[in-house]
Amino acid sequence: MEVGPIFRALTRNKLGVVLIAVQIAFTMTVIVNAVFIINDRNGKMGRPSGMDEANTFYITSIGFGENFNEAVTAAEDLDMIRQLPGVLHASMTSALPVSGSGSSTGVTVVAGQRESSVPTAVYYVNENALSTMGLELIAGTDFTANDVLARDNSSNSLPNNIIISAALADVMFPELGTRAVGQTIYNASEQPLRIIGIVQQLQGPWPEWPFVEQAMLSPLHVIDGTSTYLVRAEPGQRDRLMVEVEEMLAASNGERILRGLSSMEDTREQSYRVDRAISKILYVVIATLVFITAMGIVGLAVFSINRRKKQIGTRRALGATQGEILRYFLLENLMITSCGVVLGAALTLGFNMFLVQSLDMPRLDWYYAPVGMLLLILVGQLAVIGPSQGAARIAPALATRSV
Amino acid sequence: MLKMTGINKVFRTDLVETHALRDITLHVEEGEFITITGPSGCGKTTFLNIAGLLETYTQGEYLLDGQNVSALGDYQRAKLRNQKIGFIFQSFNLMPDLNLFDNVDVPLRYRGMKAAERKSRIEKALDSVGLLSRKKHLPSQLSGGQQQRVAIARALVGEPRFLLADEPTGNLDSNTAEGVMELLENINASGTTIIMVTHDPSIASRSARNIHILDGRIAEPQTIAHTETGQLGSVSQASAKTASAA
Amino acid sequence: MFMYYIRLSLLSYRRNPVLSTLMVLAVAIGIGAYMVIFTLNYYVGGDPIPAKSDKLFHVQFDYGDPAVPNSTPPPQLTYIDATALLNLTTQHPRTATSKFSAIIEPEGNDIRPFAVDGRGNFADFFTMFDVPFQYGSGWDRSADDSNQQVIVLSQELNERLFGGGNSVGETILMHGYNFTVVGVLDRWVPIPKFYDLNNGSLNPGEEAYIPWNLIVAMELRRSGSTNCWKAPEGSGFQAFLNAECAWIQYWVQLDSTADQSAYRDLIDNYAAQQKQIGRMLFPLEKRLFDVNEWLLEQEAQPPETRMLAALAAMLLAVCLLNTVGLLLSKFLGKSAELGVRQALGAHKGSLFIQHVIEAGFIGAVGGILGVGVAYLGLQGMYLLLGDFLSTGWLRLDITVVAVTIGLAIASTIVAGLYPIWRACNINPAIHLKLQ
Repeated sequence: MEVGPIFRALTRNKLGVVLIAVQIAFTMTVIVNAVFIINDRNGKMGRPSGMDEANTFYITSIGFGENFNEAVTAAEDLDMIRQLPGVLHASMTSALPVSGSGSSTGVTVVAGQRESSVPTAVYYVNENALSTMGLELIAGTDFTANDVLARDNSSNSLPNNIIISAALADVMFPELGTRAVGQTIYNASEQPLRIIGIVQQLQGPWPEWPFVEQAMLSPLHVIDGTSTYLVRAEPGQRDRLMVEVEEMLAASNGERILRGLSSMEDTREQSYRVDRAISKILYVVIATLVFITAMGIVGLAVFSINRRKKQIGTRRALGATQGEILRYFLLENLMITSCGVVLGAALTLGFNMFLVQSLDMPRLDWYYAPVGMLLLILVGQLAVIGPSQGAARIAPALATRSV
Repeated sequence: MLKMTGINKVFRTDLVETHALRDITLHVEEGEFITITGPSGCGKTTFLNIAGLLETYTQGEYLLDGQNVSALGDYQRAKLRNQKIGFIFQSFNLMPDLNLFDNVDVPLRYRGMKAAERKSRIEKALDSVGLLSRKKHLPSQLSGGQQQRVAIARALVGEPRFLLADEPTGNLDSNTAEGVMELLENINASGTTIIMVTHDPSIASRSARNIHILDGRIAEPQTIAHTETGQLGSVSQASAKTASAA
Repeated sequence: MFMYYIRLSLLSYRRNPVLSTLMVLAVAIGIGAYMVIFTLNYYVGGDPIPAKSDKLFHVQFDYGDPAVPNSTPPPQLTYIDATALLNLTTQHPRTATSKFSAIIEPEGNDIRPFAVDGRGNFADFFTMFDVPFQYGSGWDRSADDSNQQVIVLSQELNERLFGGGNSVGETILMHGYNFTVVGVLDRWVPIPKFYDLNNGSLNPGEEAYIPWNLIVAMELRRSGSTNCWKAPEGSGFQAFLNAECAWIQYWVQLDSTADQSAYRDLIDNYAAQQKQIGRMLFPLEKRLFDVNEWLLEQEAQPPETRMLAALAAMLLAVCLLNTVGLLLSKFLGKSAELGVRQALGAHKGSLFIQHVIEAGFIGAVGGILGVGVAYLGLQGMYLLLGDFLSTGWLRLDITVVAVTIGLAIASTIVAGLYPIWRACNINPAIHLKLQ
């Protein structure tokens, strides 16, 4: 109803309009993309590794001294750990998901066909690994003690049987999927590896790795002085057991040191620390921007109202109700903000393209920009409501006062 | 002192041309007290603004103290305003957040004077309007008449030769206005030339010479006394006309 | 006159305290946030060794299996090539270097045995990288050749083993061998850790340094990353050494451009020879990288920092746009005062200066507050990223403080230029009549 006059009044203060509109556009760009980045990272952090992370922890034993016998020590250690009340399972592993350190190799369906090599993370484990990690076997069978090969570094040989993640099975045998049990694949030294089982999910150790879902378990114990024990506790027993296991192992053998006691939850926390930090930084940026923009709108509104006090008084004297004055300023703000969010939508998509290119982020989902636009319109309206109420309270008598 | 010949002022917008002043010719001699009258919108204030170098004119010639001002840039015009002209406004135009001392200080600042000299001049000026004791007060703590006295002190502190006043009593009650008028007359008596815009015929009648402006022109005939013998009470036809119109 | 304008700025601030405080806050937050990100990027992405970064070169060879799609050459050297390069020319300072981990068994029973992260390197390593020493020094080149069991300790390890005293000449039992301490490092935290980017470019340096040849001679546990693109032929340690497995960083210092092109020719020749015997089949355009080229090649700067930089720039832009708008309102709201000042003799130039100073004043207050914001921001970064960042490198020094305040003043004045221009060009006449 009053759009025409308001619009014409605004064209006479183009710069003020442009300033607020551009500010809103930038704010929207930052907020929408920041929320998108946060959600994207939360999504990544929320991906399960396949393990029972809540109840597992691990510790590394490094032997030294001439009498240290790793094979014997490891067997004794695992036995002792298993006997502790509250321990469900214990096993050895060469690496852990999410931890950031481990090894990978390339495997092929046809021996020596390197151009079709598929990258996969490799975990060297013993026969209790599946139950200790809490992996869900969806096809085939688990390892048995007979599968496990113990050897030192002087050999490169690998055990014959492997268990792989469903994702790896899908990549290598797209037609077979979980029916790939029984198939043989080859590693870089063209050694045959027979798939005896497939687990629902097992991530590789590097969260940022593009092939993170491709992993394989090999029942190998390399005797090189270092063994990492993984322990799965009954729910609620983990923290107590972490202390007990470390104390027990420390007391049992003087020719080794213990390192890296950590729960899986802590490991995840550490690995995603940068992502978490960035999310928090982004939250602060969002809050700051909303605050600054809202305050800017308030400041400019108060000023423009003060400048137009007499005009407002005149309108009141001519019969405008308080509600009409209020509506005038809300409508004026709506028009400015609308220009801002339209520009903001374009900038938002532009910045998202920059993120797609430089950070390998996915494209913005369609609903982000419209939600952002609505949100900023709302922020604008809320910011201007106080000053507008002030304007509505201006007395009609002001029109006739000269000074 | 002030010599205008054929001054025209045209305001142009996209749509209209407004002739604010047409062919104004006026000579003011040193020491005169001139009042300008005329109905609202007749060009009184435009005339004063041009005389005070706040606005430029479209056509004509203006000599201030023998100097042609039409060719001067902003910097030189500002210097002339600062040194030769004092302004007094209807709404006083004191700076609300400066105290009286600092308000009077403003023109001296632009003259680049030493602190000690500024101080003695400011105090003298405030003393002359009877407000030295309140030099630390803010304008809002003063009555209207007192504020206008401060404005007068500020106009005089630079010892200008020439005082321009735009309805200086317009916002004051008659008693206070009388006080301000007496002050201005004293100032004039001590040699300062005054040009004052007013719409109050009784005030206009107190000046030796009155110029009546109508539709941007100086109304004919001019004042009776073009000589320097004009005395108080010599009422011009023009002001009489205003009075009868009112 | 300057002080007069400062006083006017103060009065003007007091006239619209809310509006002025809003501006100050906007500037403070914008500049503060920008400085936090700037400091972060400056340290993470800056030149870690500015005096020599164009003289130190990392060698990269044509590694990898050309048959495997999308592979990139591993950024380290094989044992064969590292030893070949060491003998190719000894004219320039050079070092092969790699990480190991070992167990130290302190004397007596006060301290239990513990594991350390160590680095094998050549004598030149210390001089090439300007490594600072608290006690003693590195070892001689002769110690490299004769496999002397010498060791340089980090400040922290020296603290742990010897309480921080001068331990030069003491003996340490590591990996079952006795090592003689020849030097103790002073605090040395190059950010990023340019000489070995393989295990986290922000990770702290190693705790113990020994002659690199000992890693092989003692078969120490290597703890960096190892990339093999061909399975070793045969088994055992010797087979690993001969294999196409890259695990060694190789750096050479080349002072003149003549040296650089001569060395480039040398390694190009070497690569060509290797190609003839069937190695180095992966096509590579560039083999010699100076420090900054190497950091860029290895994407040492996390991509997130670029995103944060872009966000911080936008935050600053919003804050400054905000300031432009508020200054415009503020200055145009003073039209009457500006009119009076002009009537009293102010020319446009003096009004301009008055308002530049007023904008600068707001900028300065905002900048000082911005230093506080930046301080809080950096504290926040510590809280969030503490153990990722070596302690003490993120800090506000006098330069950062000066830059913050200077930037705040400058950007506020820039933001104020248009409002000032508008304010100085008002027609004084219309603002004098009525208020």
